[in-house]
Amino acid sequence: MNIYIQAASQISTQEPLNEKWFDTPSYPDKILNESIDPDFKAYIPVMIARRMGNLLKRGIVTSVDALNKCSLNGDNLQAVITGTGLGCIENTEHFLNAVLDNEESCLQPTFFIQSTHNTISSQIALFIKCHGYNTTYSHRGTSFDSCLLDAFVQMKLGLISNALVGGHDEMTPSYFTLLQKVGYWKNTPLTDENFHAADTRGSISGNASLSMVMANMKVPYSLCQMRTVEMLYAPTMQEIKAKIDCMLEANGMKLADVDAVVMGLSGDKDNDNVYKNIMSEVTRDIPVMCYKHIFGESFCASAYGVYTAATAIAKKRVPSHLLYSSRKEILNPRNILVFNHFHNIDHSLILLSCPD
Amino acid sequence: MEELILELKKEIIEVLNLDGMTPEEIDENAALFGDGLGLDSIDALELIVLMEKNYGIKLANAAEGRDIFRSVATMAKYVSEHRTK
Repeated sequence: MNIYIQAASQISTQEPLNEKWFDTPSYPDKILNESIDPDFKAYIPVMIARRMGNLLKRGIVTSVDALNKCSLNGDNLQAVITGTGLGCIENTEHFLNAVLDNEESCLQPTFFIQSTHNTISSQIALFIKCHGYNTTYSHRGTSFDSCLLDAFVQMKLGLISNALVGGHDEMTPSYFTLLQKVGYWKNTPLTDENFHAADTRGSISGNASLSMVMANMKVPYSLCQMRTVEMLYAPTMQEIKAKIDCMLEANGMKLADVDAVVMGLSGDKDNDNVYKNIMSEVTRDIPVMCYKHIFGESFCASAYGVYTAATAIAKKRVPSHLLYSSRKEILNPRNILVFNHFHNIDHSLILLSCPD
Repeated sequence: MEELILELKKEIIEVLNLDGMTPEEIDENAALFGDGLGLDSIDALELIVLMEKNYGIKLANAAEGRDIFRSVATMAKYVSEHRTK
């Protein structure tokens, strides 16, 4: 049984709900970069939206947009699977600040109700009236990858035929400040120089809200085929190499068949060195694609890695601004490997191919 | 009382996040729940918190709340009679 990504929709630092970023990206000029939000009222009735924080609204709008692209709704959707590193952290902060300010009394219920991690997945399901499987994964930098694996395995087992998967995270000023104190962010916005430099720490922050529809049936608008999703815990270089070889062999492919490898390069030396080791030891001459220089870093940033690869396959090219080292555009990419890691502990490998 | 009614309307708009609504659009005699403003049970909890936080009124009896939260006018009457701050 083959599995396909049918549609995707994003709200991020780029223009929302479209793929203009693919040809004409805007480059984040701050360290803490806000999302560009669409007019939520066009998608969510005011009386329903009034209790929702921005992350929840983004999650619902990208979900509805992705489902609309493939004519799915709550009745025929079988699963809502959401990844989030921090959940609705803005509401969590509201609630916890109120606990302190009001000495643990007079606490507003709305902030409490919507401060949990699984609020997003459940509110999406409530909004679209989907009574199917509903789960949230909160595994820091591999939260979205865990969603993909869940949907992929369930489809392979024939338990579900389609799924809405999403990666949703927001960065609040206070959480940004906490991460800044432990060197998570750069002191200056990202430039071509400090992105590629081998000795600088930190990256730039973005917000992530990406929804995609997966299904076991190829349709004319399928973006790509998802061949394999693998996750590894604290692997050695040899184990990563063996896993890649194994993945490719299972799909009748060799490393030379991979047209590009998407990596979560962020400008942070500790993060990037892991990828650079993979480049030198495993993928070698295969062109490397990057995406965090336009979408920023967040716990669900890896969703944009998959989205970038899927979009490149669908559009049949990889523009030069998405290439890390080479600047030569790639035409007709057929197979793209997405490689993501979080602190060199949790790793994921996702192989995408042209859907024919 | 006029002043208190206006104050309550502003607080209700803020605490319930009634985006785009103005105090003038809320009829102080219209029902807050059901057909009127269309509030629900979570809003009722928010209003209970509002009463305690802003006016020092603790509502312990749920049946009593039904009469108090009938409209902005009934809320204002109760607040004016029972407020401790």
